[in-house]
Amino acid sequence: MTRQLTDRPRAVVEAKPAAAPRARWSARTRRDFFVFLALALPNLLLIAVFTYLPLFNNIYYSTLDWTLGSASATVVGLDNYVTFFTSSDATKVLGTTALFTLVTVGGSMVLGLLVALALNSRIRGTTFARSAVFAPYVLSGVGVGLVWLFIFDPGYGVLAWLLRGLGQQSPQWINDPQLSLVMVMIVYVWKNLGYCAVVYLAGLQSLPQDVMEAASLDGANGFKRFVTMSLPLLSPTTFFLLITTMLSSLQAFDLIRIMTPLGNGTSTLIYEAYLQAFGAFNRAGYSAAISVILFAILLIITVLQLRFVERKVHYS
Amino acid sequence: MALNLDRRHFLGLAGAGAGAAALSACGGPTTTAGPATATAAADIDFSGVKPAASIDFWTNHPGKSQDVEKAIIAKFHAAFPEIKVNLVTAGANYEEIAQKFQTSQAAKSGLPGLVVLSDVWWFRYYSNGNIIALDGLIKQLDVKVDDFQKSLIADYQYGNKQWALPYGRSTPLFYYNKDHFKAAGLPDRAPKTWQEFAEWAPKLKASSGAQYAYIYPALAGYAGWTLQNNLWGWGGSWSDEWKFNCDSAESVAALQWAQDSIFKDKWAGVSSKEAADDFAAGITSSTISSTGSLLGVLKSAKFNVGVGYLPGGPKNESPVCPTGGAGLGIPSGVSKEVQLAAATFLKFMTEPENTAQFSAATGYMPTRTSADMTTVLAKTPQIKTAMDQLAVTRVQDNARVFLPGADQEMAKAAAAILTQQGDVKATMTALKATLEGIYTKDVKPKLKS
Repeated sequence: MTRQLTDRPRAVVEAKPAAAPRARWSARTRRDFFVFLALALPNLLLIAVFTYLPLFNNIYYSTLDWTLGSASATVVGLDNYVTFFTSSDATKVLGTTALFTLVTVGGSMVLGLLVALALNSRIRGTTFARSAVFAPYVLSGVGVGLVWLFIFDPGYGVLAWLLRGLGQQSPQWINDPQLSLVMVMIVYVWKNLGYCAVVYLAGLQSLPQDVMEAASLDGANGFKRFVTMSLPLLSPTTFFLLITTMLSSLQAFDLIRIMTPLGNGTSTLIYEAYLQAFGAFNRAGYSAAISVILFAILLIITVLQLRFVERKVHYS
Repeated sequence: MALNLDRRHFLGLAGAGAGAAALSACGGPTTTAGPATATAAADIDFSGVKPAASIDFWTNHPGKSQDVEKAIIAKFHAAFPEIKVNLVTAGANYEEIAQKFQTSQAAKSGLPGLVVLSDVWWFRYYSNGNIIALDGLIKQLDVKVDDFQKSLIADYQYGNKQWALPYGRSTPLFYYNKDHFKAAGLPDRAPKTWQEFAEWAPKLKASSGAQYAYIYPALAGYAGWTLQNNLWGWGGSWSDEWKFNCDSAESVAALQWAQDSIFKDKWAGVSSKEAADDFAAGITSSTISSTGSLLGVLKSAKFNVGVGYLPGGPKNESPVCPTGGAGLGIPSGVSKEVQLAAATFLKFMTEPENTAQFSAATGYMPTRTSADMTTVLAKTPQIKTAMDQLAVTRVQDNARVFLPGADQEMAKAAAAILTQQGDVKATMTALKATLEGIYTKDVKPKLKS
């Protein structure tokens, strides 16, 4: 199926005859065109105003030395990009972004798959368990962050209380930059693994049962069936999740904002862009440059997805 | 169909539309060739101007002051029925209100008539041309400037002009649990120096059952503000005028002592969210927090609360207490009518009886010397400590109040020292470089020569 999808446009292009002289528009064609405009134009305008306009404005702002709130700015060309990539910020922010993305995507997918396997078994209470696992995903990130802050609070949090019961002091989850990142990643994975679990569950339930039963009759045990058959057959689901969770992780904001307002240790690209413009610094131009870098990364991932997923995934 | 509208053409149309829209709307700031500098503000002529019928007052309700702000506004409406004041919750803290204000400046719309501005934000508003000098309005409305606490009103003066008036002004206070102190056989007072407290701390920790004898204020809050007490006590500072000496031997010694109190002597901790709440919850026997937290602590603590001056250090016993809190300013981007109405309300809000009412409800200091605090002090005598301490306050370090983002950088450095046991000298040296960078790029070009 993938091959067909990939090959079809190429075949059409190759078979296309030499360009014929363009015919005058008939009345019907014109009518169709106006219908098209009537239907598409409002959406196009909305997309242009709320997506492309801010995007192009942002690229323009990234060439300015502009303090947010100031009525004037200086054109500095690519200075903001040079500043970012030559400062220690780049290593720190890109490193944090990579670590956060790696752990949260990997954690959500692996745990999501394990949960999906458990939910796929025919035992009592799975309906309730499915709802319970998925619920955090639809909860507000702000609410989730606030509740988990109470849990992690080293002074009077539930976790601190449990640790004190064991004679241990609570780690400084909120003040220690390294532990702050760990804390946010734990909560992010907890919130998002339900999404992976539900998608994996759908994938597991659509696997061809006859093939699995045949393998079972041939003597393949559960683990072997999972590794050699289920996992490869789940590859479309895995790649879909890989891309969607990666894009989502790269844009994670609410939990970081609520749990670590200063971004000390948790400054991913998107949060650094926010802090630089709307935090204490008000460097709107510099922030815009970081946003453009994030946009470029997201664009590259999306393009890779379009090329890679279509070619490598085994649909059946 | 003759019309060949395939995906490529469709995307082309979309792209053309977007491009046209983008080209037509390259708004934002006006661009200049050189670095932007703060321009001298011309005096605004308000003669013949009539106050607007309605203004917005943006506040974060410092010290949980929403109710008292509503009460004062109700009194204002009775006195000035022609001006309606809309109380707007514009953020949960000074940073959020600043974010909303700066964003509105960028959008060039939605600005309020009057805005709460903290000690670390007003100068930036001034340098960006976001607020007006109040001198003309002070003269026109006959605001009794001489009646304000001198040190508090002087905080908002620059270039021989007055840029804001003090509102929810505070100093840090030393809060202690009287019951814990009594059980430990300690005198019922704040320690005179940190060395004295270091002698008390083990006894406190042993007898109180609390997790800590002392808890440092939350770093994500205003660590740069309260740690000035330690730095000054040891003879150090974040900066001396525009010389950044946070890596001096004195500053390093002060923060090394703080680190030792946590990791070596193990009687101190660091608050994660709000030290005043930790103190009121009984987690610690003492802490330092704003006077603005006083009423909240007295309300929620289930023990006897004592307050005192901030302890001194081995080099300086006094003055080691910074002032802080917020003032009120008037945006430049609104009409003269709105500015005049806002100034009328500003004058009313800072009248002696209203500042006394605000103080009674929050614990913030009265900003007027003639404010009658007899009733307030009879009910909450602890406020007197804050008022008396005002006489021994010290002007905050330039690095903290004038450098954008410096407070956050200080908090990060404090986190490295106080929670990760980072090397104090190396951390302070790195902080110095950061502060110098901010000064050179963001502040120096805007300073008046």
